[in-house]
Amino acid sequence: MRGKNNRKSVSYAKWGYIFIIPFFVVYAIFTLYPQILTFYNSFFENYREGLTQIGPNFVGFDNYIKLFTTSTDGMIDIVKYFSNTMIMWIIGALPQFAIALLLALIFTSTRLKLKGQGFAKTVIYMPNLIMASAFSMLFFSLFSTVGPINQILLANGILDKAVDFIAFKVPARLLVALMNFLMWFGNTTIVLMAGIMGIDESLFESARIDGASSGHVFKDITLPLLRPILVYAAITSLIGGLQMFDVPQVLSKGIGMPNRTTFTVVMLLNNYLSGSKNYGMAGAVSVILFIITGILSIIVFKVLQKKED
Amino acid sequence: MDDNKKAAAKLILTRFMAYVFVFFFCALCIFFFYLLFISASKTNFQLQGKFSFLPGSNFITNFKNAIDDTMINIPVGMMNSFIVASISAILTTYFSALTAYATYVYDFKLKKYVTTFIIAVMMIPPQVSAAGFVQLAFKYNLTNKLWMLIVPSIAAPAVYFYMKQYLEATLQIEMVEAARIDGSSEFAIFNRIVLPIMKPAVAVQMIFSFVASWNNFFMPGLLLTKAEKKTVPIMISQLRSADFAKFDLGKMYMLILLAILPVMVVYLFLSKFIIKGVTSGSVKG
Amino acid sequence: MAKVQLKNIKKVYPLRDDQKKNKKSDTSQKKSNLEITKDGVVAVQEFSIDIKDKEFIVLVGPSGCGKSTTLRMIAGLEDITDGELYIDDVLVNSVEPKDRDIAMVFQSYALYPHMSVYDNIAYSLKLKHLPKDEIDRKVKEAAEILDITDYLNRKPKNLSGGQRQRVAIGRAIVRNPKVLLMDEPLSNLDAKLRNQMRAEIIKLRKKIDTTFVYVTHDQIEAMTLGDRIVVMKDGYIQQIGTPQEVFNHPANLFVAGFIGTPRMNIFEGQLIKEGNTYSVLVDGHKVELSEDKAQRMLSHNVESQDVYVGVRPEHLYSLLNSEDGIACKVDVCELMGSDIHVHATEPTGKDTIVIVPTHGKDITFESGSIMHVTFSGNIVHVFSKENRKNLEY
Repeated sequence: MRGKNNRKSVSYAKWGYIFIIPFFVVYAIFTLYPQILTFYNSFFENYREGLTQIGPNFVGFDNYIKLFTTSTDGMIDIVKYFSNTMIMWIIGALPQFAIALLLALIFTSTRLKLKGQGFAKTVIYMPNLIMASAFSMLFFSLFSTVGPINQILLANGILDKAVDFIAFKVPARLLVALMNFLMWFGNTTIVLMAGIMGIDESLFESARIDGASSGHVFKDITLPLLRPILVYAAITSLIGGLQMFDVPQVLSKGIGMPNRTTFTVVMLLNNYLSGSKNYGMAGAVSVILFIITGILSIIVFKVLQKKED
Repeated sequence: MDDNKKAAAKLILTRFMAYVFVFFFCALCIFFFYLLFISASKTNFQLQGKFSFLPGSNFITNFKNAIDDTMINIPVGMMNSFIVASISAILTTYFSALTAYATYVYDFKLKKYVTTFIIAVMMIPPQVSAAGFVQLAFKYNLTNKLWMLIVPSIAAPAVYFYMKQYLEATLQIEMVEAARIDGSSEFAIFNRIVLPIMKPAVAVQMIFSFVASWNNFFMPGLLLTKAEKKTVPIMISQLRSADFAKFDLGKMYMLILLAILPVMVVYLFLSKFIIKGVTSGSVKG
Repeated sequence: MAKVQLKNIKKVYPLRDDQKKNKKSDTSQKKSNLEITKDGVVAVQEFSIDIKDKEFIVLVGPSGCGKSTTLRMIAGLEDITDGELYIDDVLVNSVEPKDRDIAMVFQSYALYPHMSVYDNIAYSLKLKHLPKDEIDRKVKEAAEILDITDYLNRKPKNLSGGQRQRVAIGRAIVRNPKVLLMDEPLSNLDAKLRNQMRAEIIKLRKKIDTTFVYVTHDQIEAMTLGDRIVVMKDGYIQQIGTPQEVFNHPANLFVAGFIGTPRMNIFEGQLIKEGNTYSVLVDGHKVELSEDKAQRMLSHNVESQDVYVGVRPEHLYSLLNSEDGIACKVDVCELMGSDIHVHATEPTGKDTIVIVPTHGKDITFESGSIMHVTFSGNIVHVFSKENRKNLEY
């Protein structure tokens, strides 16, 4: 056989490697290495108390055990914060998806042919781009005892005297949920609209000719075909919800008031990192966050794969 | 005939209800911004007194007071935020596009693993690396450095994913081959042929990463402790600790307005384009 | 303006891991009959040809036959697994495409969407850093040849398919390449435009002096454009020859069936050698072969054997009022103007087409009736049943 000599051929593979170098070098240094360090730290006692540095000492799973230990009020802290996060997410997400679905149906309806859709979409998407911390600060001011909301309610005689909304568990959580709802329902509307418009128009037409009412078209055609996107949107929303931080942090001045009922998992992480530089406990919280997100992501992956089939 | 009339009436009624429904949620979104806007134009006195839906007279004074505030130096904060957000936006889109291009056009042994890896790590929350990142920053004295917030944006798996999808939908490999035969170097093919083709995707991702970076609170909050290095979200969160009895509320609303204004202005000009970007990202995602 | 030599060129695509696993199990699902070795799928092998200066070579074959792969190897877009490629006697296996002095027209045109027509055509010249006025002159010259001067300022998306095609060709000819490669350039056009552009390419060839290598799956394009045609199948060259040679003397059963429309009819029969004469027997009907055919078979010592007998539809004629000949049952008649295409079923059940010239008369064949057809011994093609090769060569 000829051609066994060292003749090099035209190959572009090396450029593939060259072009991905910046991405991977940066990822390795600024994300991967810190991640590994985070995991590693979770097995060490490593924090500051006043001016004295404690550790790092290897403590095995002690940090995790501590995280899951019942505290003075009879609750396991991490479980409490996790359920706070989930409760606030769900109060916002349920109406977020219900209303987004309705709006998406209205906007895509060929029968209704609503005017001014472009404007409406622009308006409802707008809160998604707002700085969450500023939005939260705005809500705090608006709902404070001297804020306009109290003033309006007092002026209309709905309230006798000003109420400090964030001093109570239910309204405080509702406020966080309301902000999350406002910031995300427009985004969800657009995502679902794209999903509905991605469905072959002739399916709707043929169903209508087959005698299906609008209700049936929705139940039998739209919803089943939209399900992958709905599930995808819901789980990514859940993953985003787990990372809830800016809004409750600012609203509750970082302490999750009242009585830590609006305190979230990432606020706990922030607490460990900002004050005592407790890298051990912060690591343990991160690992738990990682595991939960990982499980949810695998579900997203499965959903996406199904969509492709 | 009767049936026809009934159906027509029903359609009109449904349409009316749909308008009311859509109008309500639009109004809800606007309501809070309207409150912010009128509050930012009132004097502290007007704000403490009886509520009025009309704007106040103090907009310009509040603006001056906000700019001149000694505790919260918002011009410096906006400058810092702008530096971080704009450079991050450029780096993140350029290098994500480059990486996406590399894994789309070139055939190399590790390609499959590279792609799988990036998509697998896409969902990991940024907070998971925070502890290690903060620890390293304090260890090597890298706190209060803006570039520590900028450089990591070179590796953005989600942006990579978007770019890859866009390339798969729009770039024919033949285009690259034609450029090769025309005499382009591999680097020039990307910069002069592919990047212009990707302009819509690059623009959308630039806007989104600018906004994400401008609004980012968690990481800057942990790293930036010096007043002259702080970004806008940190300054805004500091307002929360202000003593409301002493603080000028008009000025406070104005500071909030300033924090969100740049993004709002961009949005008003590019809303159609941005919404299209959200749409295209979601269908493929 | 160059000769191109391919010496024993071979291309192997390595199997991906997932394909390796399935290699044995799903041979039944495999679409093509490409050979699979331990190194991978062999897309092209034993490809040798000397392309003369200014020659127009057409590579033709069904999809997956390796024609595009061969073209892309000449372009330098695919690396050559084995063998040698010379352009003007210079070995160029490892030379990058941009340094081979070739141009290529792609099936999808691959026009740069963000550049105007002018910039598309000028791009390669700009990369060579030619002076501006020279670029301008060359671009306008090329535009003139292709009649696209009016569109120079437009963007590709504002052009019709035929105009885009012209721009793509303009981009290729502007650099005056040694070799002009064309990969199915007309297959994205509709039938009418395709005919028109085919004629344009013939004209273009007269205007520009260069070597053409043209890939198509359309045998009519191959016949009308090529000085020589390379017929390929499953990675192998089946035959190289002028259009006449390939049409009149197909090297094997595949070429016979691939070139010419409607397809050549293939009958099963026997070749009978009697002294120095040969005849074929089909359905009990015996036809003696012409002397030149017999001479060629004699020189190869061809013996009596089972064969495939190929006759083109236009070379079959019906014997009116005769019981002799191959009895075919008429299925459908199509009047194509001056001819009638009779679709019939021959005795062993295979579809057969007979072209009957009408000479202006009203001739019809009843569906279901039997027509007897025969052929003369000078235009029949005889292929070995064993290896399907033409027994004359």
